[in-house]
Amino acid sequence: MATDTEVDLTPRLKTDEMLINMGPQHPATHGVLRLILTLDGEIVRHTEPILGHLHRAQEWQGQNRTWFQYQALIDRVDYLSGMFTSWAMARAAEVVDGCEVPERAEYLRVMVSEMNRITSHLLWLGTYLIDLGAMFGFPFYPFREREKLLELFEEIAGQRMMFNYIRIGGVMRNPKDAWLSKLKKFTEEFPDRVDEYEAIVTENPIFLKRTKGVGILRKELGMDYGITGPSIRASGVNIDLRRTKPYSVYPKLKFDVPVNDRDGDTFDRYIFRIREMRQSNEIIKQCLDMLPQGEISGKKQIAGLRVKAGEGFAAVESPRGTLGCYIISNGSDRAYRIKWRNPSFCNLSILPELLKNHPIADVMAIFGSIDVILPDVDR
Amino acid sequence: MRNGAEILKLGTLTITWWCIIFGAVWIACYLVGVALPMMLSSYDSDAARMTAETLKALTPILSVLVFIPINAMFMVLIERRALAIFTVRLGPNRVGPDGYLQTAADAVKLLFKEDITPHGADAFMFTLAPIVFFAPSIFGAMPLLAAVTNYHELFQIVNLPTGIFFILAASSVPVVGIVMGGWASNNKYSLVGGLRSAAQAISYEIPLVLSLVTICLLAGSLDVVQIAKQQSGGILNWNILGGGALRGLDAALALKFSNSAPALQELSEKSFDQVLKSSYVEPTMAALGLSAGQESMAGIIAVVAVLVLIAATFIAYGLYMTGACAEINRIPFDLPEAESELVSGYNTEYSGIKFAIFFLAEFTNLFIVASIAAVMFLGGGDCPVPAWLGTMLGGPQLASVINQALTPLIQIKLVDPPTLFAAIWVILKVYSIVFFAVLIRGTLPRFRIDQLMDFGWKRLIPLSLIVFLLVVFAREFVNVHVGS
Repeated sequence: MATDTEVDLTPRLKTDEMLINMGPQHPATHGVLRLILTLDGEIVRHTEPILGHLHRAQEWQGQNRTWFQYQALIDRVDYLSGMFTSWAMARAAEVVDGCEVPERAEYLRVMVSEMNRITSHLLWLGTYLIDLGAMFGFPFYPFREREKLLELFEEIAGQRMMFNYIRIGGVMRNPKDAWLSKLKKFTEEFPDRVDEYEAIVTENPIFLKRTKGVGILRKELGMDYGITGPSIRASGVNIDLRRTKPYSVYPKLKFDVPVNDRDGDTFDRYIFRIREMRQSNEIIKQCLDMLPQGEISGKKQIAGLRVKAGEGFAAVESPRGTLGCYIISNGSDRAYRIKWRNPSFCNLSILPELLKNHPIADVMAIFGSIDVILPDVDR
Repeated sequence: MRNGAEILKLGTLTITWWCIIFGAVWIACYLVGVALPMMLSSYDSDAARMTAETLKALTPILSVLVFIPINAMFMVLIERRALAIFTVRLGPNRVGPDGYLQTAADAVKLLFKEDITPHGADAFMFTLAPIVFFAPSIFGAMPLLAAVTNYHELFQIVNLPTGIFFILAASSVPVVGIVMGGWASNNKYSLVGGLRSAAQAISYEIPLVLSLVTICLLAGSLDVVQIAKQQSGGILNWNILGGGALRGLDAALALKFSNSAPALQELSEKSFDQVLKSSYVEPTMAALGLSAGQESMAGIIAVVAVLVLIAATFIAYGLYMTGACAEINRIPFDLPEAESELVSGYNTEYSGIKFAIFFLAEFTNLFIVASIAAVMFLGGGDCPVPAWLGTMLGGPQLASVINQALTPLIQIKLVDPPTLFAAIWVILKVYSIVFFAVLIRGTLPRFRIDQLMDFGWKRLIPLSLIVFLLVVFAREFVNVHVGS
C-alpha cells in the first residue's frame, strides 16, 4: 500500500544504451562480418549484421566464365568445404544435362565429401574453442587430424583447400591403392582421436558453463528462418538431405543422422557436430569397402565442356546445411544464369534473434556455434 | 617422440636463460654492493664511506631493475615454447640459436615502433597508465628480496616488519593503471576491459588476501623473512602442509632416523613416541583441560586438528593461486583482455614502448605472485628434503664439497653459500608455479564475466572464510609456527 512517506527506490542514475561496432576487423568474427551491437551494460539488446564485405559476384562470374573455368572458381564460395560446392554445381549441371555419372565416381564423391565434412567440422571445433577463450591448448589438436586429411586431398586433387576435384559428370582423378590404404588407416584411428577431444572438452566444467543453456534455438523459430544443417538437427528437426532427399549412393550406405529431442543450445550444436564426424568416418569406411571398379567420369573433361540447354536445381547436404545450386543453361559453353542457395547466409539470419539479451561474452560463443563461413554468406 | 626432443630443448633453454638472468643480477649486485664499497673503503674519508653506504642501499633496487626486463623476456619465451609443446607445434625457433633471442628481438622491435596516441584520447592519462601499472611491480616485491636471499646483509634494508601487508597493498595498485588506460584510450572496448578489470580485481582480492591471512595467523607474523625462516628444515615444516603442524612429527622422525645431531636438543633423551606425545597430545590436553586418563581422546583430537590444518592450508594455497591468476589476468580469468570479445581489452590502443611496459608488467606480476606463493606456502629458500633425511643422504658432505669448491669466490665475497642455495631453491619453486600457470593457459577456456563474479563471490569468498575459521579453531589444539 502506498503511503506518503514511501521512498522512491528507482535508480536516479541515468543509463544509456551503447552502440558498439564489432568487426569487420575484430579478431573473432571469422572473417569480415560487421555486427552493430546495441549494448545495455554488457547485455546485447539489438544486433544488426552488415554483410557484403566479401562479395565477389560469384553468381555473375558463373555467367561470364566457361563451365570448365567456373568449376575451379566455386570451391572458393565455401572455402572450408569446397567439395560440396563443386558437388552441388556438378549435380545441378548433371540434372540439366542428363548425363550419367559412373558408380565409382559417385562413391569417390561421397568419400571425399565426407572427408571434407570431417575437416570442416574439425576446423570449426578448433576455432570455436578459440571463440570461447581457450586461446591455446586444444584448439590445435583438431588441426593435427585435419592436416592428415588435407595431405590426402593434396595427393588426390593437387590442392589442399581449393580442390576442383568433383567435376560435371564425375570426378577428376582415380585414387591410387596407396591413397586408399592411407585413408583406411586414418578412418581406423580417427574415432580414438575424437574420444580424445571429447575427453578434454565435453566434460570441461568451464566449457559446459559457457555453452549449456546459452543461445537456445527454438525448433519453430529455426524452421521459420530456414536454418539447415547440424544447427537445426541439434534443435530437433530431422532434415538431412542425405536421408530425407537421398542422392548419389547414400541410400546404399548405413549411417545415422543424429537428431536432438529438444530445443538445442550451443552445447548441443557442439555435440551434434562431434557425432556427425563419427558418422562421416563410418561412411568413409563403408565406401572404402564398397568402392567398385570402372570409369570415373561420364563426360569428357575438356576446356570446351558444354551443358545441354535447360534448367534444373540440385542440393547437397554440406557441413553447414542445405547447399543448393540452380542453373539455367542455353547450351553454350557457359551458364545463362546461376543462383546459389547458401546455408551460411540463411543460418546467419537467425543471429539477431539468438543474441538478444545475452551478454557480450556470449556473442562469439553463439555466433561460432552456428558455424558460418563469410564467403559463403557474401558469395 | 618428437615431443621428447622438444622438452629437452625447452629444458636447455630454461637453464641457459636462468644462468644469464641470475648471473647478470648476481654480478650487478656484487659490483655495486660489494666490490665498489670495498674499493672505497681504502679511502679514509666521510665522503667515501657515505658513497659506499649509499651504493649498498641501492643494491636491492638495482637488482630488481636488472632482473625485471631480462626475466620478462625469458618468461615470454618460455611461455611460447611451452605452449607450443602443449599444442603440438614448435614455437619460436629462428631468432638466435634455436630461438633463444626471439623475445629480445621482439623487445627491440617494440621499442622502435611508432608510439601512437589515438585521436580523442586523454594524452596525459594515456601515458600515465602504463607507468601506474608497472611501478608497483618494481617496488611491490622489494620485501620479498630479503626472504628469498636468506636475509643476506645487502637485502636486509628492504625488509619490513609488515612485509606481506605492503606487498598486498602494492599489488592492488596496478588495476588503477588498467582502468586509467581503458578510460583514456577513447575506445569502447578498452573502457569495458578496464571496468571489468576493476570489478574482477576487487572480487578476487578478497579470497587472495584471506588465504594469506590464514598463513599469517599460523605464522604469527606479517614479516616475510620470519615466515620464510619458520619454514626451514624441509617440506614437513612448510606452510602448505599445515603451517607448522607437522613440526613435532619432523622432530620425532629426526630422532628416529638420524644417529647424530637430533633436530631439537632438549628432545635428544626422549624416544620417538615421547616426542610425538609431547608435541601433539600434551598441548591438546592443556587446551581442553583434560585429565591424565584421557590421553587417547586427546590423541584423536590432535590428529583431527592436524589433518584439518593440512587440508585448510592446502585449500588456502589453491585459493591463493586462483585469486592470483585472476589478479594478474591470466587465463581462465583474462577477461579484461578477452580477445574474442574485446579485441585486446584495455591495451587495444597501445603500441610501441607503452604496450611493451604493459606487457613487461604483466609477466613481472606473474613472477611476483609466484614468488609470494613460494615464500608464503612453499618454504621460500628452503630445501624440500627434511633436514634429517638430508643428513642421511649425505647433504652436509655435499654442502662442504660445494663450499670447498667455491672457497676462492667466497673469499672475495662473490658467493655467499646460504644465499646461493636459497636462490636456487626459490628459482625452482617459482618457475614450477610459472610453468603450472602456463599449463593452465594451455588447457582452460575463459569464464564469462557474470560466471566469474559468481565464482568469486559465491564460491571462493565463503570457502576462504571457512578455511580461515577452521584454522582459527584447529590451531588451538596443535603447536603451529606461532611462538616457536
